[in-house]
Amino acid sequence: MRRKLVILLMIWLCFILQTSVFKMLDIITIAPNLLLIMTTSIAFMQGRKEGMTVGFVCGLFYDLTYGYLLGTHSIILVVIGYACGSFRNIFGDEDIKVPLLLVAAGEIFYNIVIYIFGFLLQGRTEFVSYFKTIILPETVWTVLITIVLYRLIYRINHRMVEKEKEGNQSLWIRD
Amino acid sequence: MKRRFRKFSIHIRSRYLLTVFVFVCIGLMLASSTLPGMISPVREISGYAVAPFQNGINQVGGWFRKQLSGFQSVQELSAANEELQAQIDALTEQNSELMQAQTELTRLEALYKLDQEYPEYNKVAAEVISKDPGNWYSTFTINKGTADGIRVDMNVLAQGGLIGIVTETGEHWATVRSIIDDANNISAMAANTSETCVVTGSLLNFESGRISFSGLSDPNDEVTEGSAIVTSNVSSQYLSGLLIGYVSDLSISSNKLTKSGYLIPVASFRSLREVLVITEVKQTKENSD
Repeated sequence: MRRKLVILLMIWLCFILQTSVFKMLDIITIAPNLLLIMTTSIAFMQGRKEGMTVGFVCGLFYDLTYGYLLGTHSIILVVIGYACGSFRNIFGDEDIKVPLLLVAAGEIFYNIVIYIFGFLLQGRTEFVSYFKTIILPETVWTVLITIVLYRLIYRINHRMVEKEKEGNQSLWIRD
Repeated sequence: MKRRFRKFSIHIRSRYLLTVFVFVCIGLMLASSTLPGMISPVREISGYAVAPFQNGINQVGGWFRKQLSGFQSVQELSAANEELQAQIDALTEQNSELMQAQTELTRLEALYKLDQEYPEYNKVAAEVISKDPGNWYSTFTINKGTADGIRVDMNVLAQGGLIGIVTETGEHWATVRSIIDDANNISAMAANTSETCVVTGSLLNFESGRISFSGLSDPNDEVTEGSAIVTSNVSSQYLSGLLIGYVSDLSISSNKLTKSGYLIPVASFRSLREVLVITEVKQTKENSD
């Protein structure tokens, strides 16, 4: 329970950082996607179910404040959470290389879906220029931020899992 | 009770959970597109959970910026001072010219008994506290809301030009869609000929600092590069006469009847901090009752 609250707090913090600090700096014109990092990292560490839940909550934050339709970003992040959670049992979660690859793949998937539904269907077919101006810089930024953020999330999550084990309330880790 | 719940959570398979989540999301999409009134209270509550903190972070950021700017070198400051002095000279000259023009105008107006008033709009100043977290849309949030008299569809100005329109309001925050957003179309006109055109926001043009316009009929070639484009009086959402930008590129459309091109907006979108909201909604047939 306590761990879930901490994760919720982390999502909230990421959202606030992403909308205010990262978007208000004049140097950065393209902001990294912290919510996607959260979803991917938790999914990779804790598995599909938790990944999907985190993705849903992250998407809801976005949709409730800036989205046009509720659930659009949620559905993308839920799918990403499910996919990244599938890698949990194949690789150990201490290694940072796999989450970096997952974040990059997730970023490209996420943006291509938004492009298709928000732009291509409105007749904006210049995919290559959108890829160059938006998708590529955002992916690079997000992967760079992941290097720092993943270790932080990993440490916090592990400490909370240890505590949960002590308290014998292992609701989530028995997957 | 707790025990039973635990067992349940072990047995549910993640594939089923995925289906549940997908259906919930689709349900939410349908609900928010068909019954927007039901969703808006939820949005308002979520605004309370986020907006005050974004505002706070912004205040802290502003404080840091101020501290940093204190360390600017003397050379830089004197250079800036010189530049500003030159600007003052130019503006004084311009001002005197304008004064002359103004007196001439009043004289001519009296001559023609023109008594049409140019509307002076009431404005509320607000600060930008956050921007859309993604990079696809150009919406932002300001720190004034319904409590300060802000309503949906009010026009927003910055740095002397039009910057956007209010799309959603909470008690102490409001969301503004900027005119460079892809979802935005403005009915505009050339200031000198009053011929209408359509200004369209586009993500790709924004990268080069421009927005595009099209459908301008200009048979006598009166609109040139540098001509001002303002909001037109036939626009349904925008008040008339608000400056959008200046023409930077002009070409004849393929139908040989109208012109299209790009304009450079007056307001800078990257370094947006303070905005002015006009507390007046354009009266149209639909909303005048």
